[in-house]
Amino acid sequence: MIAILKRELKSYYSGMMGWLLTGAMLLFGGLYFTAANLQGGYTNFTIALYSFVIVLLIFIPLLCMRSFAEEKRSKTDQLLLTSPVSITEIVLGKYLALLSMFAVPLAVMALYPLIMKFLGGADLLASYSGIVGYFFMGAAAIAVCMYISALTENQIIAALAGFGVLLIAYLLPSIQTLFTAGSALALGVFLVILLIAAVIVGLRSRSVTLAAGIFVVGFVLLSILFGTKSGWLTTAFTNIMGALSLFEPFLEFVNGLFSINALVYYASVAGLFLFLTGQTLEKRRWN
Amino acid sequence: MIQVEHLTKRYGGHLAVDDISFTVEEGTIYGLLGPNGAGKSTTMNILTGYISASDGKVTIDGHDVLEEASAAKACVGYLPEQPPLYVDMTPLEYLNFVAELKKVKRADRKPQIDYAMQRTGLAGMENRLIKNLSKGYRQRVGFAAALLGNPKVIILDEPIVGLDPAQVIEIRNLIKELGQQHTVILSSHILSEVSALCDKVLIIANGKLVAQGTPEELSEQLTGDVTLQITALGEAQKVVAAVNSVQGVKQTVLEQEQNGETSVSVTVEQGKDLRAAISAALAMAECPVLALNTVSMTLEDVFLQITSQTEESDAEEELQEPVDEQQEPADTQAHEEAQE
Repeated sequence: MIAILKRELKSYYSGMMGWLLTGAMLLFGGLYFTAANLQGGYTNFTIALYSFVIVLLIFIPLLCMRSFAEEKRSKTDQLLLTSPVSITEIVLGKYLALLSMFAVPLAVMALYPLIMKFLGGADLLASYSGIVGYFFMGAAAIAVCMYISALTENQIIAALAGFGVLLIAYLLPSIQTLFTAGSALALGVFLVILLIAAVIVGLRSRSVTLAAGIFVVGFVLLSILFGTKSGWLTTAFTNIMGALSLFEPFLEFVNGLFSINALVYYASVAGLFLFLTGQTLEKRRWN
Repeated sequence: MIQVEHLTKRYGGHLAVDDISFTVEEGTIYGLLGPNGAGKSTTMNILTGYISASDGKVTIDGHDVLEEASAAKACVGYLPEQPPLYVDMTPLEYLNFVAELKKVKRADRKPQIDYAMQRTGLAGMENRLIKNLSKGYRQRVGFAAALLGNPKVIILDEPIVGLDPAQVIEIRNLIKELGQQHTVILSSHILSEVSALCDKVLIIANGKLVAQGTPEELSEQLTGDVTLQITALGEAQKVVAAVNSVQGVKQTVLEQEQNGETSVSVTVEQGKDLRAAISAALAMAECPVLALNTVSMTLEDVFLQITSQTEESDAEEELQEPVDEQQEPADTQAHEEAQE
């Protein structure tokens, strides 16, 4: 595990990508810090961090795109998987490397609240709890993008898909507000999700009957629900949307709270996707 | 050392490896021989734990590759068909990484890496980037990586492909030397390579193990009758009659008659040298011999014949009752004899 971690870090910083990404992150961090804190006069650095969450949407997919996709393309996964290391160690080694790369610019930014303190007033506690929350949020997003990288052997696809997924998660809260109007929209969205699920099942099992069966059964169930308890659909929809809004819980830090809930949420997302990554690697050996 | 029992691998509806069983003994060089797509790489990938078998069991030095994966993998050094190299590293960095990955103790790393580099002739290349190395040198880096950790078994997938003739000789010698201390399994689709290097040969075709034994055993079992290619001056009828009059000639086939020259191909009983007798007979018949060649059936031909036969007999076998694995080599031989 340590060997993989070391190799990842070395290869990241021996190329241009590592420095470029770290530099870009620091550039935006500095810009927003200047705008929000130094000029805007806010004493909480978390506000600046929240304004450039959007930078993460690009930074994290680019950071993670190589992770497993490149190993698979150059067949170096063959070395890892035939060495006496477990899949857990491989996944953790890679994940910890990505986390460290994300932590480097964040560690530099950890100096900013001190600068504020030096220049005048700073809400150190809120700022540092914000940085911790930000790190956890990034850790969850990194796990998601690493999982996407394990699904493909094309870095570009991994980056684009990662960006797409993070963008949807980012936009979900505003999408959600569109749908509170009625349960008809919720029904529509659930039907689309059902259709996608049925198509995936159909492709996986190569059985049209199974896919059609799933869709029909789901359709009937949803219609009954819609007819009798339309309120349920809307609530379920809101809850699911809430759970998928990866960047929303961070708002609590912006509001000055050290939110254990948010940290647990991020840790669970990271754990889930690390598990899925391991499963993907394991599954690849079986077909 | 390695026990393979009823190994089967399915890719969707396609059977890549079909119920293969064999045992690998310690300190022996094994050759896995088969045409492209026969299932050699799949078999090796299963042995090394890169992919899992659909059915069957592999134990390496007593460790099941599924249940005690790490212990089994620690016994194996693997060089896949395409060496798994990180091209942005130098050979030295790469070997350090592999040694660490294989949990070689810190104190042992440098001597082991030095030894591996010296054995594979990498001296002077250790600080170049792997992406700037030629295919032959990349192959050597992969080879050196397989040697690290002093594994009991070394598995090499097509180790000779892509090397220049001088390198082929070097690598061949290296494999022979390694065979004295390690168990080596290598795959190849080139028969001469395998028969020159290996103590034991396993022939795989269409995912099935069709023959196994030492190269001598195989060639003894499998080489058929000797064929002579003769060109003589004279009419076809006269030439054929003269050849047929020699005792030991099984069959004479007329191949060509042109400008008064006749070419025939003559099948002679196994183990007999009838060249002198035939040319004397032709001289008696006043048909001077212009050319005479021995076309003995090489292992290569035998190999081609066996492997193509399995493809043909596949359809038949499905109709018949399932054939026992052990009988299969004998079975194909029977086919072969029947054809001749």
